[in-house]
Amino acid sequence: MEEQSFKGVSSVLLASLVVLLIGCSSSTEEKVLLPEASAGEDLKAEAAPSGPVVLGNMVEPFDSPSLEELTASHAWVDRTVADSMQRMRAHQAKLSAPELSAKEALALRNDSSENNAKILDALGRLAPVDGAGVNFEAEITLLAEGDLKSTNPLLLSSVVEFDYSGLTGFGLFGFDWTLEKYASADTVISWQTSEDRLVDKIIMRDDLTWSDGTPITAHDVAFTFRAIMTDQVIVPAIRQGMDKIRWVEAYDDKTIVFFHKEALSTNDVNMSFSIIPQHIYEKTIPEDPTLARSADHTRYEDAPVVGGPYMLTKRVRGQEFVLERREEYYLHDGERVREKPYFKTVRFKVIEDRNTALLALKSGDLDSLILIAEQWNGQTGDDDFYRHNMKASGLEWTSFHFCWNTKTPYFSDKRVRQAMSYAVDYDEMLNTILYGVYQPNRGTFHPTSRMFPKDGPEPYQQDLDQAEELLDEAGWDDSDGDGIRDKMIDGQLVPFEFTLMVVNFEDRIKIVTLMKESLDSIGIVCHVKPTEFTVLTEMQRNHKFQAAFAGWGSGADPDSTSNIFVTEAGRNYGGYSNSRVDDLFEQARREFDEDKRYELYGEIHKEMWEDQPYTWLFYRNSFYGFNKRLRGYNFSPRGPFHYGPGFSSFYMPAAAP
Amino acid sequence: MPEPTNNMMMEENDQASLGFWGEAWQRFRRRRLAMLALCFVVFMCLMAMFAPLIVGTKPIVCKYKGNIYFPCLGYYNRSWENPIFRKDRFRNRYPKNLKTKDPESWAFFPLVYQDPYRRVRDGEWEDRPGNPSGTDGSPSRLNWFGTNQQGYDVFAQMVHGTQIALSVGFVSMGIAGVIGLTIGALAGYLGGWVDVLLSRVIELVMCIPSLVLILALVAMLDDVTNFHLMAIVGCTSWTGIARLARAEFLKLKQMEFITAARAMGASRWRIMFRHVLRNSLAPVLVPITFGIAAAILIESGLSYLGFGASPPNPSWGTLLKSGRSTIQQTWWLIVFPGVAIFLTVLAYNLIGEGLQEATDPRLRQDSH
Repeated sequence: MEEQSFKGVSSVLLASLVVLLIGCSSSTEEKVLLPEASAGEDLKAEAAPSGPVVLGNMVEPFDSPSLEELTASHAWVDRTVADSMQRMRAHQAKLSAPELSAKEALALRNDSSENNAKILDALGRLAPVDGAGVNFEAEITLLAEGDLKSTNPLLLSSVVEFDYSGLTGFGLFGFDWTLEKYASADTVISWQTSEDRLVDKIIMRDDLTWSDGTPITAHDVAFTFRAIMTDQVIVPAIRQGMDKIRWVEAYDDKTIVFFHKEALSTNDVNMSFSIIPQHIYEKTIPEDPTLARSADHTRYEDAPVVGGPYMLTKRVRGQEFVLERREEYYLHDGERVREKPYFKTVRFKVIEDRNTALLALKSGDLDSLILIAEQWNGQTGDDDFYRHNMKASGLEWTSFHFCWNTKTPYFSDKRVRQAMSYAVDYDEMLNTILYGVYQPNRGTFHPTSRMFPKDGPEPYQQDLDQAEELLDEAGWDDSDGDGIRDKMIDGQLVPFEFTLMVVNFEDRIKIVTLMKESLDSIGIVCHVKPTEFTVLTEMQRNHKFQAAFAGWGSGADPDSTSNIFVTEAGRNYGGYSNSRVDDLFEQARREFDEDKRYELYGEIHKEMWEDQPYTWLFYRNSFYGFNKRLRGYNFSPRGPFHYGPGFSSFYMPAAAP
Repeated sequence: MPEPTNNMMMEENDQASLGFWGEAWQRFRRRRLAMLALCFVVFMCLMAMFAPLIVGTKPIVCKYKGNIYFPCLGYYNRSWENPIFRKDRFRNRYPKNLKTKDPESWAFFPLVYQDPYRRVRDGEWEDRPGNPSGTDGSPSRLNWFGTNQQGYDVFAQMVHGTQIALSVGFVSMGIAGVIGLTIGALAGYLGGWVDVLLSRVIELVMCIPSLVLILALVAMLDDVTNFHLMAIVGCTSWTGIARLARAEFLKLKQMEFITAARAMGASRWRIMFRHVLRNSLAPVLVPITFGIAAAILIESGLSYLGFGASPPNPSWGTLLKSGRSTIQQTWWLIVFPGVAIFLTVLAYNLIGEGLQEATDPRLRQDSH
């Protein structure tokens, strides 16, 4: 779950809210990419101005029309409302029956892609609609890579909180394993968008309750919007994305309407955020906009009021936290109105060390664990591992790269960046360091995604001669004969000597060290600087770095990439600027014909491949170890958990082996 | 009978006192374990000095285009490797490039063709396979101590790591020794307000945790080298030495021979550094020796935790660290560096103990 360190922007915030839904059968989407990294924090709290708290003071006053006027004045288009479990079931119903039974599949060793497919086919099938054969009393233990710092969805800052929020939170939207977006049938009855795409009207279900028994209504949604758009409320991210929403109006308990500033194809994404209970926070936020200091907020921190399928029942800091199923989530007035979540208890154990976590998985103390390439190939092939566990892998759109700071004299020239890409020893990296289990990278959009252009680029191959020629062309030659390339810049001879930063994970340091070896052989001195994840992010955000090794998970919408490559964008750490790329992103945002929109992203892809603001290195697949009792796992481009249905489809059979 | 008398007198002159150091050496020599440890350390020193001649992929000496070069010097300092090899795009692959770029060339390579900073690839040396990687690199004919997960040769890293282990000890304790002796000498000999002031300084420095300083430095510097670590360890670990030196100076300055020197008109500095210092060195050498062992452990520990010098850093601690993640498969990544650290630290401790017993009259085994 490493890639989930969910950072980003306030949009994220919302997004995060959104994500809440992992647990319910809908999963919400994010507006930003998930940086691929450890469970560190990336979200920065903004300084809040002082003075009395005025909720929603960042939104301009808006005179909303009456519902009748609104309904009459627009032509409406019905949008998809879906249940992610049903979607997955329908998808699986079209497949032929699995080749092997679960028992036969569990006897296999996952040592080839054929076996992997067989295992996933047999063990990935969902439980029947009526839940027959599911052990509803089961407990699942998952890994928390760090401590749960806050249970308030507005204060999410790391992957652990993101996971917590996914199981306990409440949101309106989700997306499936193809990243297709829809409103979640668990919470929404209907979703309509006006033809001019400026208004979205959503009718919520009336059988939803917060964990303290209060009904969840449209007013909670409108309130959350205003709370987030209050400058004194410290949300650990900027409010990007939400600023495109003009107003959110709750006409009654069920009807919520989003007014957008512009007709953008990203409006759907902007609307998806998780929701906080108005009846609690409308009283407490004015007293304490930090959401963390007052006595009330401290109390809610340990006993939060939630709207999702699970609620927090135990929290031992630094050790574990435990979630229990909320019976009133799926029962309303004694009737079952939603699917019953399969696990009674979800336990998160805090284990920061990867080797310790693997030992815990092997001994049965953890039920699921993300594996790094070394573990996938090394320590998970023996009887010791297979006694309790099975492993499986799937395609994931998580991509790794070297980010070049184009504002430094070294990397401002496109030819130098191309030379860097030619210098990488891809073969050694992929086959020796990464055990041959990851794919070579072909640019910012994954080749299996619709954004990838038809005549997309082929991966770079190491060509040191070409690299040296490009460097010579760019003026970086060894003029003083000391064996190090240099260039006269502003009257000073600058040697090509720079620092490449990397998170202090061993496998990543190895990749960076390999780059150092290659660069050394063409007369460039590269210092490897391993550092804490938080420090790395901070340095990148302030552009105080020369080059860095990093990765991005996939957002649910390709527009999330704009935050990384558009001139001056929030997470454009390398200071990349190409006006054509900026224009294309803007055009794509306003293009509603899907094919044309994806073509535009394809153009962006090619343009950036030519510029090489990053040296794209490899795509990392999902590698997981699962306890043999687990069933119902499938992979999405965002891993096995973070999509719809994701975690909701995991179950343990009543008669487990 | 004058002759016999003369002879006897001459004999007595021949057996003139060996002096303090001579006696100490004699006593030290009698301690077999301490001598063994000393031999081991000398052996390690030789290995450290000549590491690039023992293991490396750069020729010790070669003739290329009519000139003689010593590319292995590049292991000591990047700029000592002649730039001609970079200009001619050798890219650190000497065996084949020498032949193809100048058929007349010849070269002497180190005893073992392996590299501590990279994996030896297929075909670098004719008919020689590349190093295995992952957990397949068990000790073999080509990789005596096996390879790590990246395929770097463990033997090469161990040999080059000796430089780090030994230099860390010597340099840090060299710094600590100089600071400690100077401060201790000044405090002990001058006494008075100088003593009060310096003693407070000593106490102050004792409160600074070197580990925290090192971590702060590692965070600040872009390219952390072992010399940075040594400097910090040296600058924070001199307090014990200073206190011992101060006590010795306090004691010795009362002795008759000092009074005699003073009466003869010797200057204060001459007395301090010529007469007192020489006699106070012995007890100070002991904490220095133990300090070397401690410094080696600190460096290994830091590298093991990932706070050591910037990678690639072929230190013994780094090897241990890489062995940790695959401990069940790659015993050679734990055993060899572990044994090396153990033996080296043990050797220094034995030497320290031997020194202590050889120089402290109260501990002499033959004193009764």
